[in-house]
Amino acid sequence: MTGNPPSGEPPDVEGGRSDDTLMTERAAEGDEDAFAVLVRGHAPSLLRLATRLLGDRAEAEDAVQEAFVGAWRSLPEFQGRSSFGTWMYRIVTNRCLNILRARRPQAPLNELPDLPAPAHATAPDRITEGRAALHDVQEALSTLSPEQRICWTLRTLDGRSYAFIAKTVGISEQAVRARVFRARRQLTHSLGAWQ
Amino acid sequence: MNNLPPETRTDPDDETLPCGRLLSQVWADWEEGVHDDHTAQCAHCRLAVADLERLESQVRSLDSDPAQQPVDATYFIDRVMDVVRLELRPGQPLPLGEADEDLRIMENVAARALRRAAEEVPGVRAGSCRLGGTPVNVDLSVHVPLTTPDVQALAQEIRERVDVTACERLGLHLGEINVRITDLVDDDAASPWSTRSPQSPRSPRSAQEGSAP
Repeated sequence: MTGNPPSGEPPDVEGGRSDDTLMTERAAEGDEDAFAVLVRGHAPSLLRLATRLLGDRAEAEDAVQEAFVGAWRSLPEFQGRSSFGTWMYRIVTNRCLNILRARRPQAPLNELPDLPAPAHATAPDRITEGRAALHDVQEALSTLSPEQRICWTLRTLDGRSYAFIAKTVGISEQAVRARVFRARRQLTHSLGAWQ
Repeated sequence: MNNLPPETRTDPDDETLPCGRLLSQVWADWEEGVHDDHTAQCAHCRLAVADLERLESQVRSLDSDPAQQPVDATYFIDRVMDVVRLELRPGQPLPLGEADEDLRIMENVAARALRRAAEEVPGVRAGSCRLGGTPVNVDLSVHVPLTTPDVQALAQEIRERVDVTACERLGLHLGEINVRITDLVDDDAASPWSTRSPQSPRSPRSAQEGSAP
């Protein structure tokens, strides 16, 4: 029982600290060169995030581009309560959530119970290590609800804490834990069945 | 079941393993590195953890596949900035020269020059720079090195550089120049700009600007 995932937050969300603060101030006042510095600094990690969340690089680029352009427009009203990096992380995550929701008809978050997962103890098949191809994982991910998928990806692939995810997507920490749990249950079953 | 009675179950989709433990609790314990005698010996718990471990290692190994990693993001950054440059916010026009001259400079253009002037003072980084009023007043925010021996003297030096640049390079007559020091930064941590943005025209020592006498 080793190999627990990291539970802390990677430091990259805070970005370049002092520089970012100044560049954000400048960009808020209309300095597009300062904004270019912010885009250059944050684009790689945001593209990685969106690609993980959506599973599609081209869609991820569109999402991150729209997030940056939206940020440029709202920067004059940005109060700087969080860092630019944290703000962008939140914008991109929520944009991706909406994109996932639009992929298939979904009831609103509060009304729809998450997909019931098949019973774990009765799942006969075990997961075969290294056998499932990327395609299988993508397929399994597509069976998750958008909310499950977002919470699970931020937790498992991006290594974020439950508290951080809760703040980012605007739901309770308990709700995040429940979604990650259901996603794990669904995924262990789906991938186990395809060995 | 001993330490977690069924009524503590909050998720209707949770599952009680044959040993009596909740699956969600077994996975949460694994995730937080909590071990006890039961989990070490219970076959059901170990099987449940093994499933989750396999899942996580599998998706992580696929995630770290180089083909999944973004390559050069340069073209993407250009794409974003092309759109941004269609929506510039140049700010308000400011009067230049004498009262009877009908000359104007856009606020952003002036602010850019004044920030650069402030950054000619070694170690100084400029942020917000707002201009307005009649005569034109300046509110400038800066970060200065933690090691600055005399912060007031430094602020005065910044003020002078800004004034000279406004007057001699822009022909902009300033009223008050308010310099706000918003942070004292560690010298070691304060210099990543040159590596982050080698082409940035903002660099205080950029070739086109040269150094002030």
